[in-house]
Amino acid sequence: MSTSSELTPSVSSESKSKVVVGFVCERSIPIQEMINQQKALHDDPNVKVVVLPCSGMVKPSQMELALAQGAGATFVCGCAMGDCHYRTGNIMIKERLEGERNPKLRKSTDRTKVGMFFFTMKDKHPFLEALAKFKALAFKS
Amino acid sequence: MYRKFLSLLKNLTVSFEKMINILTTQEHNPLYFHGAIPLYIFWFLIFSGILLWMYYIPTLERAWSSVNYISALPLIEKGVVNPADPSSGIPYGSIIRGIHRYGAAGMMIATILHMLRVYFTDRHRSWRWLPWISGVALLVLVLFVGITGYLLVWDNRAYALTVWTQAFIAAIPIFGQGLSSFFIGGDGITDYTLIRFFFFHVGGASLIFILMWVHFIRLKYPVVTPSRATNFLVLGFILVAAGAIPAINITQELVEKYPSLRDQIAYVASDAPANIGTLVANVRYDVWYMFPYYLIEKLGITGAWWIMGISTILLIVAPFYPKDRRDNIAEVIEAKCTGCTFCSLDCPFEAITMQDRAPGSKFKLIAVVQEARCSECGICVGACPFQAIELPNMDSKAIDGDVMALLKQGA
Repeated sequence: MSTSSELTPSVSSESKSKVVVGFVCERSIPIQEMINQQKALHDDPNVKVVVLPCSGMVKPSQMELALAQGAGATFVCGCAMGDCHYRTGNIMIKERLEGERNPKLRKSTDRTKVGMFFFTMKDKHPFLEALAKFKALAFKS
Repeated sequence: MYRKFLSLLKNLTVSFEKMINILTTQEHNPLYFHGAIPLYIFWFLIFSGILLWMYYIPTLERAWSSVNYISALPLIEKGVVNPADPSSGIPYGSIIRGIHRYGAAGMMIATILHMLRVYFTDRHRSWRWLPWISGVALLVLVLFVGITGYLLVWDNRAYALTVWTQAFIAAIPIFGQGLSSFFIGGDGITDYTLIRFFFFHVGGASLIFILMWVHFIRLKYPVVTPSRATNFLVLGFILVAAGAIPAINITQELVEKYPSLRDQIAYVASDAPANIGTLVANVRYDVWYMFPYYLIEKLGITGAWWIMGISTILLIVAPFYPKDRRDNIAEVIEAKCTGCTFCSLDCPFEAITMQDRAPGSKFKLIAVVQEARCSECGICVGACPFQAIELPNMDSKAIDGDVMALLKQGA
Protein backbone atom coordinates (compact mmCIF):
# COMPACT_ATOMS: atom_id res chain seq x y z
CA MET A 1 0.00 0.00 0.00
CA SER A 2 1.37 3.38 -0.98
CA THR A 3 1.56 6.29 1.45
CA SER A 4 0.43 9.71 0.37
CA SER A 5 4.02 11.01 0.33
CA GLU A 6 5.00 8.32 -2.15
CA LEU A 7 2.10 9.30 -4.40
CA THR A 8 3.09 12.98 -4.37
CA PRO A 9 5.54 13.77 -7.16
CA SER A 10 8.91 14.63 -5.66
CA VAL A 11 9.94 18.27 -5.82
CA SER A 12 13.28 19.05 -7.36
CA SER A 13 15.94 20.61 -5.14
CA GLU A 14 16.12 23.49 -7.62
CA SER A 15 12.46 24.20 -7.04
CA LYS A 16 12.92 23.98 -3.27
CA SER A 17 15.88 26.32 -3.37
CA LYS A 18 13.66 29.13 -4.65
CA VAL A 19 11.43 28.80 -1.60
CA VAL A 20 11.84 31.08 1.40
CA VAL A 21 10.43 29.71 4.64
CA GLY A 22 9.25 32.33 7.11
CA PHE A 23 8.33 31.99 10.77
CA VAL A 24 5.89 34.78 11.50
CA CYS A 25 4.38 35.97 14.78
CA GLU A 26 0.61 36.24 14.42
CA ARG A 27 0.63 39.58 16.26
CA SER A 28 3.25 41.31 14.13
CA ILE A 29 2.41 41.93 10.45
CA PRO A 30 -1.22 41.13 9.41
CA ILE A 31 -0.09 37.71 8.20
CA GLN A 32 -3.50 36.01 8.01
CA GLU A 33 -4.67 38.43 5.32
CA MET A 34 -1.35 38.19 3.47
CA ILE A 35 -1.31 34.43 2.81
CA ASN A 36 -3.31 31.92 0.77
CA GLN A 37 -4.46 28.43 1.78
CA GLN A 38 -1.04 26.99 0.90
CA LYS A 39 0.49 29.44 3.41
CA ALA A 40 2.23 31.32 0.60
CA LEU A 41 2.31 35.12 0.45
CA HIS A 42 -0.12 36.63 -2.08
CA ASP A 43 2.60 39.10 -3.06
CA ASP A 44 5.31 36.49 -3.44
CA PRO A 45 4.12 32.85 -3.66
CA ASN A 46 7.67 31.56 -3.21
CA VAL A 47 7.61 32.84 0.35
CA LYS A 48 5.81 30.31 2.53
CA VAL A 49 5.18 30.86 6.19
CA VAL A 50 4.54 29.09 9.45
CA VAL A 51 2.40 31.25 11.73
CA LEU A 52 3.24 31.14 15.43
CA PRO A 53 1.83 32.82 18.56
CA CYS A 54 5.14 34.64 19.13
CA SER A 55 8.46 34.97 17.32
CA GLY A 56 10.15 33.85 20.56
CA MET A 57 8.72 30.38 19.94
CA VAL A 58 10.99 29.83 16.96
CA LYS A 59 13.93 27.51 17.58
CA PRO A 60 17.06 28.33 15.57
CA SER A 61 17.20 24.60 14.80
CA GLN A 62 13.90 24.94 12.89
CA MET A 63 15.43 27.59 10.64
CA GLU A 64 18.47 25.33 10.20
CA LEU A 65 16.08 22.51 9.30
CA ALA A 66 14.42 24.63 6.60
CA LEU A 67 17.82 25.41 5.05
CA ALA A 68 19.00 21.79 5.38
CA GLN A 69 15.85 20.58 3.63
CA GLY A 70 16.59 22.80 0.66
CA ALA A 71 14.99 26.20 1.32
CA GLY A 72 16.81 29.05 -0.38
CA ALA A 73 16.49 31.26 2.69
CA THR A 74 14.57 31.53 5.93
CA PHE A 75 13.45 34.38 8.15
CA VAL A 76 11.61 35.20 11.31
CA CYS A 77 9.23 38.14 11.71
CA GLY A 78 8.22 39.40 15.15
CA CYS A 79 6.57 42.45 16.70
CA ALA A 80 8.32 45.82 16.61
CA MET A 81 11.31 45.96 18.95
CA GLY A 82 10.08 47.21 22.30
CA ASP A 83 6.51 46.19 21.57
CA CYS A 84 6.35 42.38 21.78
CA HIS A 85 2.89 41.39 22.98
CA TYR A 86 4.58 38.84 25.25
CA ARG A 87 7.23 41.37 26.27
CA THR A 88 10.45 39.66 25.23
CA GLY A 89 9.78 37.18 22.41
CA ASN A 90 11.37 39.29 19.67
CA ILE A 91 14.40 40.04 21.83
CA MET A 92 14.85 36.33 22.59
CA ILE A 93 14.84 35.20 18.96
CA LYS A 94 17.08 38.10 17.93
CA GLU A 95 19.60 37.17 20.59
CA ARG A 96 19.41 33.48 19.69
CA LEU A 97 20.04 34.17 16.03
CA GLU A 98 22.88 36.55 16.89
CA GLY A 99 24.48 33.90 19.09
CA GLU A 100 23.96 35.75 22.36
CA ARG A 101 21.37 33.46 23.95
CA ASN A 102 20.84 29.72 24.10
CA PRO A 103 19.85 27.82 22.03
CA LYS A 104 21.95 29.58 19.40
CA LEU A 105 22.02 29.37 15.64
CA ARG A 106 24.89 27.10 14.57
CA LYS A 107 28.05 28.93 13.60
CA SER A 108 28.18 26.96 10.36
CA THR A 109 24.83 28.36 9.20
CA ASP A 110 25.07 30.79 6.28
CA ARG A 111 23.93 34.09 7.88
CA THR A 112 23.10 35.66 4.53
CA LYS A 113 20.24 33.19 4.23
CA VAL A 114 18.78 33.92 7.67
CA GLY A 115 16.66 37.06 8.05
CA MET A 116 15.05 38.88 10.97
CA PHE A 117 12.24 41.42 10.70
CA PHE A 118 10.39 43.26 13.41
CA PHE A 119 7.24 45.07 12.36
CA THR A 120 3.86 46.16 13.71
CA MET A 121 0.48 44.99 12.42
CA LYS A 122 0.33 48.18 10.34
CA ASP A 123 3.62 47.51 8.55
CA LYS A 124 2.59 45.20 5.69
CA HIS A 125 4.34 47.21 2.99
CA PRO A 126 7.54 48.01 4.89
CA PHE A 127 7.77 44.28 5.61
CA LEU A 128 7.35 43.33 1.95
CA GLU A 129 10.02 45.86 0.96
CA ALA A 130 12.44 44.55 3.60
CA LEU A 131 11.69 40.97 2.54
CA ALA A 132 12.43 41.77 -1.11
CA LYS A 133 15.78 43.30 -0.12
CA PHE A 134 16.61 40.29 2.03
CA LYS A 135 15.75 37.88 -0.79
CA ALA A 136 17.88 39.82 -3.24
CA LEU A 137 20.88 39.55 -0.92
CA ALA A 138 20.24 35.93 0.07
CA PHE A 139 19.92 34.67 -3.51
CA LYS A 140 22.85 36.76 -4.74
CA SER A 141 25.31 34.92 -2.51
CA MET B 1 -18.65 43.80 21.66
CA TYR B 2 -16.11 44.61 24.38
CA ARG B 3 -13.48 42.54 22.56
CA LYS B 4 -14.15 44.54 19.39
CA PHE B 5 -13.73 47.72 21.41
CA LEU B 6 -10.37 46.50 22.75
CA SER B 7 -9.34 45.53 19.23
CA LEU B 8 -10.25 48.99 17.92
CA LEU B 9 -8.22 50.64 20.68
CA LYS B 10 -5.24 48.48 19.76
CA ASN B 11 -5.56 49.37 16.08
CA LEU B 12 -5.65 53.07 16.87
CA THR B 13 -2.68 52.81 19.23
CA VAL B 14 -0.52 50.87 16.77
CA SER B 15 -1.40 53.32 13.95
CA PHE B 16 -0.38 56.24 16.13
CA GLU B 17 2.84 54.54 17.21
CA LYS B 18 3.69 53.73 13.62
CA MET B 19 3.76 57.47 12.93
CA ILE B 20 6.06 58.01 15.92
CA ASN B 21 8.31 55.20 14.62
CA ILE B 22 8.76 57.14 11.40
CA LEU B 23 10.08 60.07 13.42
CA THR B 24 12.11 58.22 16.03
CA THR B 25 12.72 54.65 14.75
CA GLN B 26 11.57 51.67 16.83
CA GLU B 27 14.68 51.85 18.97
CA HIS B 28 13.94 55.31 20.39
CA ASN B 29 10.16 55.46 20.29
CA PRO B 30 9.37 56.86 23.76
CA LEU B 31 6.02 55.04 23.76
CA TYR B 32 7.89 51.73 23.80
CA PHE B 33 9.38 52.80 27.17
CA HIS B 34 6.05 53.80 28.64
CA GLY B 35 6.62 51.74 31.79
CA ALA B 36 10.19 52.86 32.37
CA ILE B 37 9.53 56.60 32.13
CA PRO B 38 7.60 56.97 35.42
CA LEU B 39 10.38 55.09 37.23
CA TYR B 40 13.01 57.27 35.56
CA ILE B 41 11.19 60.42 36.70
CA PHE B 42 10.77 58.94 40.17
CA TRP B 43 14.56 58.93 40.61
CA PHE B 44 14.62 62.68 39.96
CA LEU B 45 11.85 63.14 42.50
CA ILE B 46 13.80 61.17 45.10
CA PHE B 47 17.02 63.14 44.62
CA SER B 48 15.41 66.58 44.31
CA GLY B 49 13.22 65.66 47.31
CA ILE B 50 16.29 64.88 49.42
CA LEU B 51 17.77 68.29 48.53
CA LEU B 52 14.52 70.08 49.41
CA TRP B 53 14.23 68.14 52.66
CA MET B 54 17.61 69.52 53.80
CA TYR B 55 16.04 72.98 54.17
CA TYR B 56 12.41 72.15 54.84
CA ILE B 57 11.05 72.82 58.35
CA PRO B 58 7.73 71.04 59.02
CA THR B 59 6.11 73.48 61.45
CA LEU B 60 3.11 75.75 60.94
CA GLU B 61 5.26 78.77 61.59
CA ARG B 62 8.15 78.00 59.29
CA ALA B 63 7.06 75.55 56.59
CA TRP B 64 6.04 78.20 54.07
CA SER B 65 9.05 80.45 54.76
CA SER B 66 11.48 77.50 54.55
CA VAL B 67 10.08 76.57 51.13
CA ASN B 68 10.26 80.23 50.14
CA TYR B 69 13.87 80.37 51.29
CA ILE B 70 14.69 77.41 49.04
CA SER B 71 13.08 78.69 45.90
CA ALA B 72 12.76 82.48 46.06
CA LEU B 73 14.08 84.21 42.98
CA PRO B 74 15.64 87.66 43.08
CA LEU B 75 13.20 90.23 41.79
CA ILE B 76 13.62 90.65 38.09
CA GLU B 77 15.87 93.60 37.43
CA LYS B 78 16.33 94.82 33.90
CA GLY B 79 14.44 91.81 32.65
CA VAL B 80 17.04 89.31 33.83
CA VAL B 81 16.63 86.58 36.45
CA ASN B 82 19.72 84.93 37.85
CA PRO B 83 18.78 81.69 39.60
CA ALA B 84 22.33 81.41 40.93
CA ASP B 85 22.01 84.64 42.95
CA PRO B 86 22.43 83.55 46.58
CA SER B 87 21.02 86.80 47.95
CA SER B 88 17.45 85.52 48.00
CA GLY B 89 17.75 81.86 49.00
CA ILE B 90 19.52 78.74 47.84
CA PRO B 91 21.40 79.07 44.53
CA TYR B 92 19.41 77.19 41.90
CA GLY B 93 16.86 76.37 44.61
CA SER B 94 14.00 77.29 42.29
CA ILE B 95 15.37 74.87 39.70
CA ILE B 96 15.57 72.03 42.25
CA ARG B 97 12.04 72.79 43.43
CA GLY B 98 10.97 73.06 39.79
CA ILE B 99 12.41 69.61 39.06
CA HIS B 100 10.40 68.28 42.01
CA ARG B 101 7.26 70.15 40.98
CA TYR B 102 7.34 69.37 37.27
CA GLY B 103 8.77 65.90 37.84
CA ALA B 104 5.71 65.14 40.00
CA ALA B 105 3.39 66.29 37.21
CA GLY B 106 5.49 64.32 34.71
CA MET B 107 5.31 61.19 36.82
CA MET B 108 1.52 61.34 37.01
CA ILE B 109 1.22 62.02 33.27
CA ALA B 110 3.65 59.19 32.47
CA THR B 111 1.87 56.81 34.86
CA ILE B 112 -1.53 57.55 33.28
CA LEU B 113 -0.09 57.17 29.76
CA HIS B 114 1.52 53.87 30.80
CA MET B 115 -1.78 52.61 32.12
CA LEU B 116 -3.72 53.73 29.03
CA ARG B 117 -1.15 52.19 26.71
CA VAL B 118 -1.28 48.86 28.56
CA TYR B 119 -5.09 48.92 28.43
CA PHE B 120 -5.28 50.06 24.80
CA THR B 121 -2.99 47.25 23.66
CA ASP B 122 -4.90 44.65 25.69
CA ARG B 123 -1.98 43.83 27.95
CA HIS B 124 -3.79 44.06 31.24
CA ARG B 125 -5.86 40.89 31.30
CA SER B 126 -5.67 37.29 32.47
CA TRP B 127 -2.17 36.25 33.57
CA ARG B 128 -1.17 39.91 33.81
CA TRP B 129 -3.61 40.72 36.62
CA LEU B 130 -0.95 41.24 39.29
CA PRO B 131 1.05 43.92 37.42
CA TRP B 132 -2.23 45.63 36.52
CA ILE B 133 -3.74 45.66 40.01
CA SER B 134 -0.44 46.66 41.64
CA GLY B 135 -0.32 49.39 38.98
CA VAL B 136 -3.74 50.66 40.07
CA ALA B 137 -2.46 50.71 43.66
CA LEU B 138 0.63 52.60 42.49
CA LEU B 139 -1.54 55.16 40.72
CA VAL B 140 -3.51 55.79 43.91
CA LEU B 141 -0.28 55.98 45.91
CA VAL B 142 1.34 58.43 43.48
CA LEU B 143 -1.79 60.58 43.76
CA PHE B 144 -1.62 60.46 47.56
CA VAL B 145 2.10 61.30 47.67
CA GLY B 146 1.56 64.16 45.21
CA ILE B 147 -1.28 65.67 47.23
CA THR B 148 0.67 65.45 50.49
CA GLY B 149 3.51 67.23 48.67
CA TYR B 150 1.18 70.15 47.99
CA LEU B 151 0.19 70.21 51.67
CA LEU B 152 3.79 70.54 52.86
CA VAL B 153 4.16 74.04 51.41
CA TRP B 154 1.46 75.15 53.85
CA ASP B 155 0.03 77.98 51.82
CA ASN B 156 -3.62 78.99 51.47
CA ARG B 157 -4.23 76.17 49.03
CA ALA B 158 -2.64 73.58 51.35
CA TYR B 159 -4.93 74.68 54.17
CA ALA B 160 -8.01 74.45 51.94
CA LEU B 161 -6.97 70.99 50.72
CA THR B 162 -6.43 69.88 54.32
CA VAL B 163 -9.92 70.99 55.35
CA TRP B 164 -11.55 69.30 52.34
CA THR B 165 -9.54 66.12 52.76
CA GLN B 166 -10.61 65.95 56.41
CA ALA B 167 -14.25 66.32 55.36
CA PHE B 168 -13.79 63.72 52.62
CA ILE B 169 -12.27 61.20 55.03
CA ALA B 170 -14.80 61.97 57.76
CA ALA B 171 -17.59 60.89 55.39
CA ILE B 172 -16.41 57.27 55.64
CA PRO B 173 -18.94 55.38 57.79
CA ILE B 174 -17.85 54.33 61.31
CA PHE B 175 -14.10 54.96 60.94
CA GLY B 176 -14.33 58.36 59.25
CA GLN B 177 -13.89 60.62 62.28
CA GLY B 178 -10.99 58.57 63.63
CA LEU B 179 -9.23 58.50 60.27
CA SER B 180 -9.75 62.21 59.85
CA SER B 181 -8.03 62.88 63.18
CA PHE B 182 -5.29 60.44 62.21
CA PHE B 183 -4.80 62.39 58.98
CA ILE B 184 -4.03 65.67 60.75
CA GLY B 185 -2.32 64.10 63.76
CA GLY B 186 -4.85 65.11 66.43
CA ASP B 187 -8.14 66.93 66.91
CA GLY B 188 -6.92 70.16 65.37
CA ILE B 189 -4.20 71.47 63.09
CA THR B 190 -0.95 71.83 64.98
CA ASP B 191 2.76 71.46 64.27
CA TYR B 192 2.15 67.71 64.51
CA THR B 193 -0.05 68.02 61.42
CA LEU B 194 2.82 69.02 59.19
CA ILE B 195 5.07 66.35 60.66
CA ARG B 196 2.29 63.87 59.86
CA PHE B 197 2.02 65.19 56.29
CA PHE B 198 5.79 64.96 55.92
CA PHE B 199 5.63 61.35 57.09
CA PHE B 200 2.82 60.61 54.62
CA HIS B 201 4.82 62.18 51.79
CA VAL B 202 8.14 60.44 52.46
CA GLY B 203 6.59 57.20 53.75
CA GLY B 204 4.31 57.04 50.72
CA ALA B 205 7.25 57.57 48.39
CA SER B 206 9.07 54.72 50.12
CA LEU B 207 6.00 52.53 49.76
CA ILE B 208 6.12 53.20 46.01
CA PHE B 209 9.38 51.22 45.90
CA ILE B 210 7.75 48.26 47.64
CA LEU B 211 4.74 48.34 45.32
CA MET B 212 7.06 48.59 42.32
CA TRP B 213 8.67 45.37 43.49
CA VAL B 214 5.23 43.73 43.50
CA HIS B 215 4.57 45.33 40.09
CA PHE B 216 7.71 43.71 38.65
CA ILE B 217 7.65 40.42 40.53
CA ARG B 218 6.02 38.46 37.70
CA LEU B 219 7.93 40.14 34.90
CA LYS B 220 11.25 38.70 33.73
CA TYR B 221 13.65 41.41 32.56
CA PRO B 222 11.33 44.39 33.19
CA VAL B 223 12.22 47.47 31.15
CA VAL B 224 13.35 49.91 33.85
CA THR B 225 15.52 52.25 31.77
CA PRO B 226 14.24 54.26 28.82
CA SER B 227 16.44 54.72 25.76
CA ARG B 228 19.07 57.46 26.04
CA ALA B 229 17.13 59.68 23.63
CA THR B 230 13.97 59.29 25.74
CA ASN B 231 15.97 60.09 28.89
CA PHE B 232 17.20 63.35 27.41
CA LEU B 233 13.75 64.21 26.10
CA VAL B 234 12.05 63.73 29.48
CA LEU B 235 14.81 65.47 31.44
CA GLY B 236 14.80 68.30 28.89
CA PHE B 237 11.06 68.87 29.34
CA ILE B 238 11.40 69.00 33.12
CA LEU B 239 14.41 71.34 33.11
CA VAL B 240 12.95 73.70 30.52
CA ALA B 241 9.69 73.89 32.46
CA ALA B 242 11.55 74.46 35.75
CA GLY B 243 13.52 77.31 34.19
CA ALA B 244 10.72 78.86 32.15
CA ILE B 245 7.94 78.95 34.76
CA PRO B 246 9.63 78.81 38.16
CA ALA B 247 7.86 76.98 40.97
CA ILE B 248 8.00 79.68 43.64
CA ASN B 249 5.93 81.08 46.49
CA ILE B 250 3.94 84.15 45.54
CA THR B 251 4.91 86.73 48.15
CA GLN B 252 3.25 90.03 48.89
CA GLU B 253 6.33 91.74 47.56
CA LEU B 254 5.99 89.94 44.22
CA VAL B 255 2.28 90.72 43.96
CA GLU B 256 2.96 94.39 44.55
CA LYS B 257 5.58 94.49 41.84
CA TYR B 258 3.77 92.18 39.36
CA PRO B 259 0.00 92.45 40.01
CA SER B 260 -0.90 89.88 37.35
CA LEU B 261 1.61 87.29 38.57
CA ARG B 262 -0.92 85.28 40.58
CA ASP B 263 -3.11 84.79 37.53
CA GLN B 264 -0.17 83.86 35.36
CA ILE B 265 1.51 81.20 37.47
CA ALA B 266 -0.98 80.34 40.17
CA TYR B 267 -1.29 76.70 39.01
CA VAL B 268 2.44 76.19 39.40
CA ALA B 269 3.37 78.49 42.22
CA SER B 270 2.34 78.40 45.85
CA ASP B 271 0.02 80.98 47.37
CA ALA B 272 0.44 83.21 50.40
CA PRO B 273 1.07 81.51 53.79
CA ALA B 274 -1.89 79.61 55.21
CA ASN B 275 -4.12 81.44 57.60
CA ILE B 276 -5.84 78.83 59.77
CA GLY B 277 -9.55 79.46 59.95
CA THR B 278 -9.67 81.40 56.67
CA LEU B 279 -10.54 79.49 53.52
CA VAL B 280 -9.63 81.45 50.41
CA ALA B 281 -11.92 81.55 47.40
CA ASN B 282 -10.83 80.45 43.92
CA VAL B 283 -8.28 77.80 44.84
CA ARG B 284 -6.26 76.87 41.75
CA TYR B 285 -6.29 73.12 41.17
CA ASP B 286 -3.34 71.30 39.71
CA VAL B 287 -4.92 69.22 36.94
CA TRP B 288 -2.93 66.06 37.61
CA TYR B 289 -3.17 65.77 41.38
CA MET B 290 -6.12 67.81 42.53
CA PHE B 291 -8.92 66.42 40.38
CA PRO B 292 -10.48 64.72 43.45
CA TYR B 293 -11.01 68.21 44.94
CA TYR B 294 -12.54 69.40 41.71
CA LEU B 295 -14.95 66.46 41.98
CA ILE B 296 -15.70 67.35 45.59
CA GLU B 297 -16.46 70.92 44.58
CA LYS B 298 -18.70 69.94 41.67
CA LEU B 299 -20.41 66.78 42.98
CA GLY B 300 -20.13 67.09 46.74
CA ILE B 301 -18.33 64.64 49.01
CA THR B 302 -20.74 61.74 48.44
CA GLY B 303 -20.68 62.18 44.67
CA ALA B 304 -16.88 62.30 44.64
CA TRP B 305 -16.73 59.11 46.72
CA TRP B 306 -19.08 57.37 44.29
CA ILE B 307 -17.15 58.42 41.20
CA MET B 308 -13.76 57.50 42.62
CA GLY B 309 -15.01 54.29 44.21
CA ILE B 310 -16.68 53.02 41.03
CA SER B 311 -13.67 54.00 38.90
CA THR B 312 -11.34 52.11 41.23
CA ILE B 313 -13.58 49.01 41.23
CA LEU B 314 -13.77 49.05 37.41
CA LEU B 315 -9.98 49.28 37.21
CA ILE B 316 -9.59 46.38 39.64
CA VAL B 317 -11.99 44.05 37.78
CA ALA B 318 -10.70 45.03 34.30
CA PRO B 319 -8.12 42.20 34.02
CA PHE B 320 -10.72 39.52 34.68
CA TYR B 321 -13.07 40.33 31.81
CA PRO B 322 -13.47 39.09 29.11
CA LYS B 323 -12.06 35.67 29.89
CA ASP B 324 -9.95 33.93 27.26
CA ARG B 325 -10.00 30.22 26.45
CA ARG B 326 -6.92 28.76 28.08
CA ASP B 327 -6.29 25.55 26.17
CA ASN B 328 -2.68 25.88 25.08
CA ILE B 329 -0.76 26.10 28.33
CA ALA B 330 2.84 24.89 28.10
CA GLU B 331 3.44 21.30 29.20
CA VAL B 332 6.72 19.79 30.35
CA ILE B 333 7.63 16.34 29.00
CA GLU B 334 9.22 14.91 32.08
CA ALA B 335 11.25 12.22 30.34
CA LYS B 336 12.99 14.76 28.10
CA CYS B 337 13.60 17.59 30.59
CA THR B 338 17.28 17.83 31.54
CA GLY B 339 16.79 20.68 34.01
CA CYS B 340 18.92 23.03 31.88
CA THR B 341 16.83 26.07 33.07
CA PHE B 342 16.70 27.73 29.63
CA CYS B 343 12.89 27.82 29.60
CA SER B 344 12.73 29.20 33.13
CA LEU B 345 15.28 31.91 32.29
CA ASP B 346 13.41 33.00 29.17
CA CYS B 347 9.79 32.86 30.37
CA PRO B 348 8.68 36.53 30.32
CA PHE B 349 6.10 36.06 33.07
CA GLU B 350 8.01 33.95 35.62
CA ALA B 351 5.64 31.05 34.94
CA ILE B 352 8.31 28.33 35.02
CA THR B 353 10.15 27.31 38.16
CA MET B 354 12.87 24.71 38.46
CA GLN B 355 12.19 22.10 41.11
CA ASP B 356 14.28 19.27 42.54
CA ARG B 357 13.70 15.83 41.06
CA ALA B 358 13.37 12.76 43.23
CA PRO B 359 16.69 11.39 44.57
CA GLY B 360 18.33 8.97 42.16
CA SER B 361 16.94 10.68 39.04
CA LYS B 362 19.18 11.09 36.01
CA PHE B 363 18.87 14.88 36.21
CA LYS B 364 18.79 17.12 39.25
CA LEU B 365 16.05 19.58 38.26
CA ILE B 366 12.79 19.61 36.35
CA ALA B 367 10.85 22.54 34.91
CA VAL B 368 7.37 23.08 36.36
CA VAL B 369 4.81 25.35 34.68
CA GLN B 370 2.55 27.45 36.93
CA GLU B 371 -0.59 27.37 34.80
CA ALA B 372 -2.17 30.60 36.05
CA ARG B 373 0.90 32.58 34.98
CA CYS B 374 1.39 30.95 31.57
CA SER B 375 0.63 33.25 28.62
CA GLU B 376 0.71 30.42 26.02
CA CYS B 377 3.31 32.42 24.06
CA GLY B 378 5.63 29.47 23.41
CA ILE B 379 8.84 31.35 24.23
CA CYS B 380 9.78 28.44 26.50
CA VAL B 381 9.34 26.10 23.52
CA GLY B 382 11.80 28.19 21.52
CA ALA B 383 14.22 28.12 24.45
CA CYS B 384 14.25 24.33 24.85
CA PRO B 385 16.87 22.49 22.81
CA PHE B 386 15.48 19.11 23.92
CA GLN B 387 11.83 19.46 22.88
CA ALA B 388 10.97 18.91 26.52
CA ILE B 389 8.39 21.68 26.80
CA GLU B 390 5.62 22.14 24.26
CA LEU B 391 2.35 23.94 23.58
CA PRO B 392 -0.20 21.10 23.22
CA ASN B 393 -1.93 22.67 20.19
CA MET B 394 1.31 23.33 18.31
CA ASP B 395 4.30 21.24 19.28
CA SER B 396 7.79 21.34 17.76
CA LYS B 397 7.19 18.21 15.70
CA ALA B 398 4.12 19.80 14.11
CA ILE B 399 6.12 22.91 13.23
CA ASP B 400 8.92 20.81 11.73
CA GLY B 401 6.23 18.93 9.77
CA ASP B 402 4.82 22.24 8.51
CA VAL B 403 8.28 23.30 7.32
CA MET B 404 8.72 20.02 5.43
CA ALA B 405 5.24 20.28 3.92
CA LEU B 406 5.88 23.85 2.71
CA LEU B 407 9.12 22.77 1.07
CA LYS B 408 7.39 19.81 -0.56
CA GLN B 409 5.12 22.26 -2.37
CA GLY B 410 8.21 23.66 -4.08
CA ALA B 411 8.36 26.98 -5.89
